[in-house]
Amino acid sequence: MGLAEFMVRRIILLIPTLIGVILLIFAVTQLFTPEQRATLYITSEKQMKEIDSIIRQYHLKETIFVQFAGWFSQLLQGNLGYSKTGNGPVLSVMLRKLPATIELVLFSIPITIFLGIYLGVRAAVNRDRAVDHVTRTISIIGWSLPTFWLGIMLIAIFFSGLGWFPPERMGTQAFNYIYLSGNWHHYTGLLTIDGLLNGQPWISLDVLKHMVLPTITLVTIQIALIVRVTRSSMLEALGKSYITTAKSKGLSNKEVINKHARRNALIPTMTVAGLLTAGLLTGVTITETVFNIDGVGRWAAVAAGGGGTVPDVPAILGFSLFAGIVYIVANLVVDILYAYVDPRIRLG
Amino acid sequence: MSELRFTLRRMRKSPLSIVGIIIVVFFTAIAILAPVLAPPVDIRDPYSIFHDGYGPTPRPPGSPVLDTFIRSTGWAVHYFGTAEGQLDIYYGCIWGTRTAFRIGVLVVAISLMIGILAGCISGYYGGVIDEILMRFTDVILAFPGLILAMALVIALPPLWPIDLGFIGLALAAFFAPVLVSNFYFKLRGIWAFMLGLSTLAILAILYVWVLGTPPIYVLSLDLTSLDKVLIALALVGWPGYTRVIRGEILRVRQEDYIEASRGVGCSDFRIITRHLLPNTIYPVVIMASLDIGSVVLLAAALSFLGIGAPLGYSDWGQMISFARNWIWTGFENPWQYWYTFITPGLFIFIFVLGWNLLGDAFRDILDPTLRRK
Repeated sequence: MGLAEFMVRRIILLIPTLIGVILLIFAVTQLFTPEQRATLYITSEKQMKEIDSIIRQYHLKETIFVQFAGWFSQLLQGNLGYSKTGNGPVLSVMLRKLPATIELVLFSIPITIFLGIYLGVRAAVNRDRAVDHVTRTISIIGWSLPTFWLGIMLIAIFFSGLGWFPPERMGTQAFNYIYLSGNWHHYTGLLTIDGLLNGQPWISLDVLKHMVLPTITLVTIQIALIVRVTRSSMLEALGKSYITTAKSKGLSNKEVINKHARRNALIPTMTVAGLLTAGLLTGVTITETVFNIDGVGRWAAVAAGGGGTVPDVPAILGFSLFAGIVYIVANLVVDILYAYVDPRIRLG
Repeated sequence: MSELRFTLRRMRKSPLSIVGIIIVVFFTAIAILAPVLAPPVDIRDPYSIFHDGYGPTPRPPGSPVLDTFIRSTGWAVHYFGTAEGQLDIYYGCIWGTRTAFRIGVLVVAISLMIGILAGCISGYYGGVIDEILMRFTDVILAFPGLILAMALVIALPPLWPIDLGFIGLALAAFFAPVLVSNFYFKLRGIWAFMLGLSTLAILAILYVWVLGTPPIYVLSLDLTSLDKVLIALALVGWPGYTRVIRGEILRVRQEDYIEASRGVGCSDFRIITRHLLPNTIYPVVIMASLDIGSVVLLAAALSFLGIGAPLGYSDWGQMISFARNWIWTGFENPWQYWYTFITPGLFIFIFVLGWNLLGDAFRDILDPTLRRK
């Protein structure tokens, strides 16, 4: 099987899962009352007052099949309902808040992966020695820390105590320049890049400074996964006979580890990248809430009633659908990369 | 027996797992001794943290109890201080241990039960039914746990009226796999009976859901917000176990003794319960029980977001959410209210750490590729 054929086959296999995800979201909507469900079809604030007519218009008190047809056709048109907490239609609110989240994720993923692989390899090579124990202890501690508590502690130490890195997404000065001065152009939505494009590098620096603590939080809770998988696959690779061969050829220890063992050990590590995405989506929800960053994660948390208000149903379902799709796509990419790196997968 | 000795020897070699055991035993002791360590002010409702007045500002550890009624029950000082609304932090932490165990044990037990049932059916019968169940687990695993749990907690109504249609659906969910498997395998005794039942269940669904008849209520469940968290986390957690059990059953199914018992004429039910399960579930049950830590972490996150335990309930995550307004107190006096978030946070962290240390040790012990080297 060629790579192209593998990709096509993999994408076709994705369809049932995607249908399942949509059906599951729909099943969750069925747990709500018709009044709550009506908010899923609303696109503006004005319509909030006409709930009764919407219930009639979309047959929300009819049978499940009629309801599904109505809901699904709205979904295909990109109408996910009106979010009270986001003050706008769900899709546009999500698009507006996405760049902040993406920026945070873009900073934490590379650090998590490279640092995790480095530590995992070091731990495996020095199995049952001090390095191994220390690395594992640190990664288990990171794994056990509640995200929100870690965030709070980091704020308490590095902001309240030392005054080094502030929470939120940017300082007042940067905020004023971006939203009030009128000279700001949104090129990508990622403020670090936009700052440079607008010729205002101090904004990029300010945003970077605000990004330090959330990034540390996300990396700390995620890294254990990478360390653990890299360590155990590295241990497995080190026990293989080709390592013995390489050693008996007289290769140096460094060469054996870097060229022979590590390359093979990294393949299983790739497969957990999908799990990493899931962890990040969860982590982002809490991290953004703690650090008060206005991204999709905090929006979802607020919509869920974090502020003690009535839950914002369309926002939550929209975010769940988004999270499900992101996760599926991430796994697809991982699978294709996996098949690309390891031909045994697509040939087998 | 040699298995046990091997496990114990490996555990002795790993100091971390000993620390894990000590932590878990310590918390178990706190949970059991909760009524002694923190005698409830209101006997009827021990899980509610007692209020010492309703003042908003937290008070530091060692502050005296002001309320005369609470003083009369034997409480003289707030050992760990008070949180927002004068909730006693010490009381919340001690009884929160019970809450944590309750959530952890119940969620793992429920999802393990669903997981074992679905995994057995899927692995033993294979074919269409396996395909359907596996696609279903794919769908649930396609959501990050916290986010699906969030949606479910919000979606579950406080009063859950159970009508005939729902019971029909639940019955069908259970018997439909059997129905499908009956098309592929021979019909016998109890299975024929179940075929009848599942037809009934499907008829019930047709009756209530499709024809749109007004629902006939059978009973209504009163769900507290903690029950919702339990249900949501269990529904999110089972697919992982299903996968593992299915894999194990597929492995064992090929063994000669299964063929032999089939040849002797054992029923499917007997083969699954007497031969397949005893040879497959122990590692899974051990690994699952060590998931208690991560379940508690998820539940704490839900509570922190304000959709977990009810207000004033002894729950660690919620106690940290009470502290949110008291973290930033200006640069002059940065850690004025440290006790509101450090103490409950340490409880969660050390509890989860204990389970994870144990889990890490067992993962190595049970991993066949890393054994005996």
